[in-house]
Amino acid sequence: MQVTIKLFAMLGEQLGATVKLDLPAAPTAADIKPALQTAYPAVRQLLATARLAVNQEFVEDDAQPISATDEIALIPPVSGG
Amino acid sequence: MYYLKISPTPLDVHALYEKLKDPQYGGIVTFVGTVRQWTGDIETQTIDYSAYPEMAEKQLNKLAAPIEAKGARVVIAHRVGHLDLTDEAVFVGVAAAHRAEAFEWCQYLIDTLKTEVPIWKRETDTDAVRWGD
Repeated sequence: MQVTIKLFAMLGEQLGATVKLDLPAAPTAADIKPALQTAYPAVRQLLATARLAVNQEFVEDDAQPISATDEIALIPPVSGG
Repeated sequence: MYYLKISPTPLDVHALYEKLKDPQYGGIVTFVGTVRQWTGDIETQTIDYSAYPEMAEKQLNKLAAPIEAKGARVVIAHRVGHLDLTDEAVFVGVAAAHRAEAFEWCQYLIDTLKTEVPIWKRETDTDAVRWGD
């Protein structure tokens, strides 16, 4: 299954505002960061510190199923204020 | 929810404050974050703020809802775009019946905004460009 991931801040600067990613069948939230780290090893560490958001909510449960229509984003450590 | 906004235009601090006034409230606490020149030995020239605006406004709603449910009023605005020294980056205001809860909730909101709301700063300093802090 292919999904589109929104990226922000230093991740967006390095990889672009969105990337497409192939996931195994019946993916869960836990599959996304490892698949990105495999596809983009140069930003492995940045990806590790980012939080996953699905449909504009931080993911609390790694077992959350992912569907092709979900809005998926990686949120690097925030620095507003 | 009273007023929560991610704003590409300069914050009108006075207009934001006016939104908090109401006869039911006896205490208004506001916090304004501005662009600082020096952080230790690092000299900042400008800051560019960016956001995931739809999620940022949702997150702000989640922070403000329990406080408004207690009868207070919350006004939060955060700038995005290019800011110079002394420009206002964020306004957090709480109006409550009494000062103690207004102080407490204002502090809670700005502290939590800094960890839970998807907004990022990109500092242009004299020696380097830095993301976040």
